Amino acid sequence: MIRLLAIIVFIFTSSLSFAASGSIPLKPVLIDLNNKASLQRGAQIYVNNCLGCHTLKYQRYVKFIDHLSLSKETIENNLIFTTDKNGEPTKIGSLMLNAVNPDSAKEAFGVMPPDLTLIARSRGTEWLYTFLISFYQDDKRPLGVNNALYPNVGMPHVLSWMEGLKKPVNLEKDQYEYISKGTMSDKQYRKSVTDLVNFLAYVSEPAQLDRYRIGFWVILFLAIFSFIAFLLKIEYWKDVK
Amino acid sequence: MNKFMAWIDERLPVSNFVRNHLSQYYAPKNFNFFYYFGALAIFIFILQIVTGIFLTINYKPDAAQAFASVEYIMRDVEWGWLIRYMHSTGASFFFVVIYLHMFRAMLYGSYKNPRELLWLFGMVIFVLLMAEAFMGYLLPWGQMSYWGAQVIISLFSAIPYVGESLALWIRGDYVISDATLNRFFAFHVIALPLLLFALIYLHLAALHTTGSNNPDGVEIKKNKDENGIPRDGIPFHPYYTVKDIFGLSVFLIIFTFVVFFMPELGGFFLEKDNFVPADPLKTPEHIMPVWYFTPFYAILRAIPDKLGGVLAMGLAIFVLFFLPWIDRCSTKSIRYRSSTYKTLLTLFVISFFALGYIGMSAATPLLTWAGRLFTLIYFGFFVALYFTSANEKTKDVPDRVTMHD
Amino acid sequence: MSDSNKPSNRRKFLTNLTQVMGGVGGIFAVIPFLSTMSPSEKAKSAGAPIEIDISSLRPGSYKVVEWRGKPVWVVRRTPEMIENTLEENDILSDPKSLEDHQPSYTKNKYRSINPEYLVLLGVCTHLGCSPLYKPNSKSAELGLDWKGGFFCPCHGSKFDLSGRVHSGVPAPYNLEVPPYYFASKDKIIIGEDGESV
Repeated sequence: MIRLLAIIVFIFTSSLSFAASGSIPLKPVLIDLNNKASLQRGAQIYVNNCLGCHTLKYQRYVKFIDHLSLSKETIENNLIFTTDKNGEPTKIGSLMLNAVNPDSAKEAFGVMPPDLTLIARSRGTEWLYTFLISFYQDDKRPLGVNNALYPNVGMPHVLSWMEGLKKPVNLEKDQYEYISKGTMSDKQYRKSVTDLVNFLAYVSEPAQLDRYRIGFWVILFLAIFSFIAFLLKIEYWKDVK
Repeated sequence: MNKFMAWIDERLPVSNFVRNHLSQYYAPKNFNFFYYFGALAIFIFILQIVTGIFLTINYKPDAAQAFASVEYIMRDVEWGWLIRYMHSTGASFFFVVIYLHMFRAMLYGSYKNPRELLWLFGMVIFVLLMAEAFMGYLLPWGQMSYWGAQVIISLFSAIPYVGESLALWIRGDYVISDATLNRFFAFHVIALPLLLFALIYLHLAALHTTGSNNPDGVEIKKNKDENGIPRDGIPFHPYYTVKDIFGLSVFLIIFTFVVFFMPELGGFFLEKDNFVPADPLKTPEHIMPVWYFTPFYAILRAIPDKLGGVLAMGLAIFVLFFLPWIDRCSTKSIRYRSSTYKTLLTLFVISFFALGYIGMSAATPLLTWAGRLFTLIYFGFFVALYFTSANEKTKDVPDRVTMHD
Repeated sequence: MSDSNKPSNRRKFLTNLTQVMGGVGGIFAVIPFLSTMSPSEKAKSAGAPIEIDISSLRPGSYKVVEWRGKPVWVVRRTPEMIENTLEENDILSDPKSLEDHQPSYTKNKYRSINPEYLVLLGVCTHLGCSPLYKPNSKSAELGLDWKGGFFCPCHGSKFDLSGRVHSGVPAPYNLEVPPYYFASKDKIIIGEDGESV
């Protein structure tokens, strides 16, 4: 019977993975939420490059104190660039919003740039990583770039100042050559994107930082409890003949 | 303490109740693994009620705020994520447990005379539970919530003449909207739980009238000692309470493992598309119901006709109500039944899993044909059972229950 | 049932152990449920300390600001008002502010950090109405011996210009002083203790 259950669980967990269908295979990315330095760099990249268009409307800055091991002053000085409706600097307890006007954004990009709080959960981290390293030059597009994973995406290559710009040699085989240099080497850029994706993975579900840790103790407790309950059951069932 | 209990008992028969239903309620001593799931189902029901209450405290049944309020629970409410994951995981585990509980009844003929009413109450609980789960799934207001509800409610429009107006009436709007969300919330948090509570009470009352069946299908009440106690019975308390405590703790290990380490269960318990807020203008690429509905969804898709599909799906559930009369064999337990029944039941289980898989996959021509084949097997089970069970070659059922380990 | 008349020690021990462990587990399981009802991150953020600019506050006037959904008063007292608060000791029920309804740094005869500025939570300690600011002495409404203060219209509680409660009124104790500090000469932060504390 236990074996039957095991088979059921196996079937349920193994048979399907819902990868969003893209035109190129997704590349693996190492997510490590315990790597605070990586999360901090990711946060830095996000507020400098992404937050202008993409809100994180369920995330509060103040959470970085506990989750990213940053001080209140560091957050206020280095991560908060926005102001509230009175023109005062955004309070640390606020959600990570921006001042994008939906109408003008639609005009510029064709769509309202989506909120990215949950993007790592809806798209997956591998998709994000692959997406961010798959921009290439394409003069046919209004913004001059295209994306191999998400063809004809409305988003410009915001990180091209870091990566530089590449043009495809063979798009199917994922071969490119750089036509302009950015501030980083290819390896450095991929590391930065990893940090950014790592940060988004954290933002998509901050509870991850707690649940693995707490889960360990809960299951340890239950295992001991089960053992004692088992002894108790055996003890009582000695009566049953 | 004794005086206090005496005072109470004169006014409310508490001690009597405990005697009748626990310490002097005699259950067969040969219960096996499958007999954990009744108690576990009650545990999950209570867990869902309690976690549900605490979610309601922070959830907002408003199309403009629902999605954000779930994220609010997941982030801003202290421990909110745990309560939410317990509730979402609990929903899936409820069906795991209920399906195993129902399968147990099919293995050991627990729906047969004199327990037909017990089975019928159980079936009503199952249907209510599906409604409860379906309505609850709309509440997070993600893409899958929205489009899943859209598809299921559209099923009603297949009914001739009144269908369209019926669907409109259920939604309260021309599309799934705030009005739909609000009424589903009301049904999910109060109407259906109340009905479930009443039905579970009736289910248990019926159980304690006939007494439990067991893996041998032997009626233990037919063999009593000089004190009128079944010879094969043991008091539920303490023997089955300690056993169920053990069963519950093992169940909790599996349950909490999912809650803490894989609450999405690879997209089975929480679907990726449901982390995108509902958008009436954009259908997700691949809509599927949650896993526990997929066998029935596959039957729906197998029939190349809208009304026919809906009827087949309804029939797939409805036919289960009649199992006590379809199965005409008087021998209860599969242990003493013919290989015909064993084969049929195996095929039925295979078709159920296969349909479950087909229902969650994108429709390819091959899978559509496979879906039709397994739909045929699913219904074939009941037809074949009706004809083979009347004159089944069974083994001799012993007088007393047997103990296996 | 045969053995249950005199349960073995092992049985008793295991029963007790299961009960204790189950009880402990149960208590731990209850904590998350009850915690969900405490203020969320959103409530805490909305209740975060606020800044008040007092440069425009003239002597004798007062300002009401909202902090955690409650009115907070900042009164700029004139020397005369400060003096008045010192005279009334005999009619007050807790003139020395001995009861703990203010931060330690305002536990002085002016109930403030700087005697010129009084910061109070504008919630009557009786049943939570917001008292009115009545700075002028000898009012027709409050009698000839009124020396200025706060008057609660709900049940008639009176407080002096330091928020100390008069004796013989329904309010049981002095108006509360919220935690605050001077970030600069013209700026008060309400809702947080200063760093020196």
